[in-house]
Amino acid sequence: MTTESTQADTREIVVSTRLSRGIIAGVRIGLALLWIQNAGWKVPPNFGQGAQPTGLYQFTSYAVEYPVFPPFSWLVEHLILPNFAFFGWMVLLAEASLGAFLLVGLATRFWALVGLAQTMAITLSVLNAPHEWHWSYLLMFMANATVFATAAGRYTGLDGLLRPHWQSSTTPISRLLVRAS
Amino acid sequence: MTAAGRSLDRATTTLGAVAVASAVFVFARGDFSFIRVRGDSVAVVLALGLLAIVAGRRASRTLTLAAGAGFLASAAVVLLALVTRGDSAFLDVDGSTLSFCLGLGIGLLLLGLAHDQPRTSTP
Repeated sequence: MTTESTQADTREIVVSTRLSRGIIAGVRIGLALLWIQNAGWKVPPNFGQGAQPTGLYQFTSYAVEYPVFPPFSWLVEHLILPNFAFFGWMVLLAEASLGAFLLVGLATRFWALVGLAQTMAITLSVLNAPHEWHWSYLLMFMANATVFATAAGRYTGLDGLLRPHWQSSTTPISRLLVRAS
Repeated sequence: MTAAGRSLDRATTTLGAVAVASAVFVFARGDFSFIRVRGDSVAVVLALGLLAIVAGRRASRTLTLAAGAGFLASAAVVLLALVTRGDSAFLDVDGSTLSFCLGLGIGLLLLGLAHDQPRTSTP
């Protein structure tokens, strides 16, 4: 067996069995449920801002109280906390969209990158806060990275079904979706 | 009916089944309450989920689009409820309900729209 054929066989193992495809789909759907559930406790209009901070405001303020990366703490203190209603809505809409698109497996690789960026923001906010388990955030990074690397929407997701349509189309949106899937 | 068309119909049926199955979260509390489906939203996900299942079984593009539009309209209502009242009592919903309806709505609409598109061989 040549090196090339061995490498090809190794690559194929990832997706060649029903079990492998099912596991990849399971990781994608599990990650979607993570974002869906966590969109649930971002409560407008105050998002926890008040005399006794709770929820998203409290967790975001941990970036200042228990700094992880000083430039990010400065950004939170001087830009995000003073404009918290806008920031709260952006977080809610981003996480609701993450859950929505990952659940059905649409534009999955793009949304996995958004998930990585959001995980970075969460990590920089709460990593040093009391009672946080650092592996939670590392696992979130790994799950989003896995969904990106395996293009997980192509297995029992809409990306797998619709990608041939997009590939045969010349419209800009189709080309964009081919890249995003 | 082409194999691609049958795959689209199976996906439509699956998304409908997912919507119907989500009604189980009406009983869920605590850590495993992944999606808030309570009160009026139970009837909505059941009705639209059943519509999507019928759409998939009958290979009906119109019904698929109707189910997708219904879920997107539901997501818009949830968003409106969150904008106007926050953690509202008049609809027992939150961001997880918004996310779920948004995903099913976009998914079903795209499946409906893909039905009539001509396919050529991929490069």
